[in-house]
Amino acid sequence: MLPLCLAVIPWGILCGSLAIQNGFTAIETQAMSLLVFAGSAQLVAIELIAGNTPLLTILFTTFIISSRHFLYGLAVRHKVIDQPMRWRLPVSFVLTDELFAFSHHRKAYRTKLRLVYALSAGFSFYIAWNLWTLIGIVAGSLLPDLTNLGLDFAIAATFIALVIPGIKNLATLATVITAGVMATLLKSQGFELWLVTAALTAMSLGYVISRAQTKTEQIV
Amino acid sequence: MMTTILLMACITFFTRYLFLHRALPFKVGPKMQQFLSFSAPAVLTAIWVPIVFVTDDGINLDWQNPYLSAAVAAIIVAYKTHNIYYTTLVGMGLFLILN
Repeated sequence: MLPLCLAVIPWGILCGSLAIQNGFTAIETQAMSLLVFAGSAQLVAIELIAGNTPLLTILFTTFIISSRHFLYGLAVRHKVIDQPMRWRLPVSFVLTDELFAFSHHRKAYRTKLRLVYALSAGFSFYIAWNLWTLIGIVAGSLLPDLTNLGLDFAIAATFIALVIPGIKNLATLATVITAGVMATLLKSQGFELWLVTAALTAMSLGYVISRAQTKTEQIV
Repeated sequence: MMTTILLMACITFFTRYLFLHRALPFKVGPKMQQFLSFSAPAVLTAIWVPIVFVTDDGINLDWQNPYLSAAVAAIIVAYKTHNIYYTTLVGMGLFLILN
């Protein structure tokens, strides 16, 4: 998780400085990272709030962007559900894209040691995210234009690092290509549900291919 | 403003917590589990690919696009090394030079 804490530097700085440059106070900006703790939702909401968008639209957009977490919750449910509330609540609070990408071990979350490990990773990411937001707040008030530097590329580089090594079979390769192509096409068309639609379609294709392969293996 | 932030926090937390709530009466079966095993590559890729290609003016397929060349470099490094440090460092480094 440590490399992820470093990789999120540009993303946190982008979030902090973008908010400041859109007229947020330092406290509001920091509160957003402390409470919402969701980079992509925060970035989009900052622009919407600055544009005087109605509250309901802001909340609906936040919901759409965050709805991918439903998939994460479903995927780790059987690993976490037997743990008491005092473990499940903090785990769900730090269930980010990055932590989820590290949740694939068969025993993840299932022993006390692995729970402590997951929570340490999750909360160190939380602390890092808030520190980089703070640095973004300072930088955003000192320097005029940080938001056009392309700091958002950091998230692409990080996710490439998380996804590419995991492509070990045809089903995953097909999933990744479908997700990328569909998300690009749908988003460029301005379709609001681009992320969920692309992800679900790609997952379905991956699932169908992996089922077909299992069946072929059984016949042979 | 603080109200908006608090409501947003409730929404993101709700989406993260809902399926970890025990009172929801269902079990995720093996087929569903297999389907969900594709969620990380699908969602993460659906997030990063548009960052590379989608601009305010549409899809940018130009090789001069620094996002594209840096992403290709990052993919090669990730494939060869399986290392998050090297991948993000090379990706960001090349991107900053080109940009």
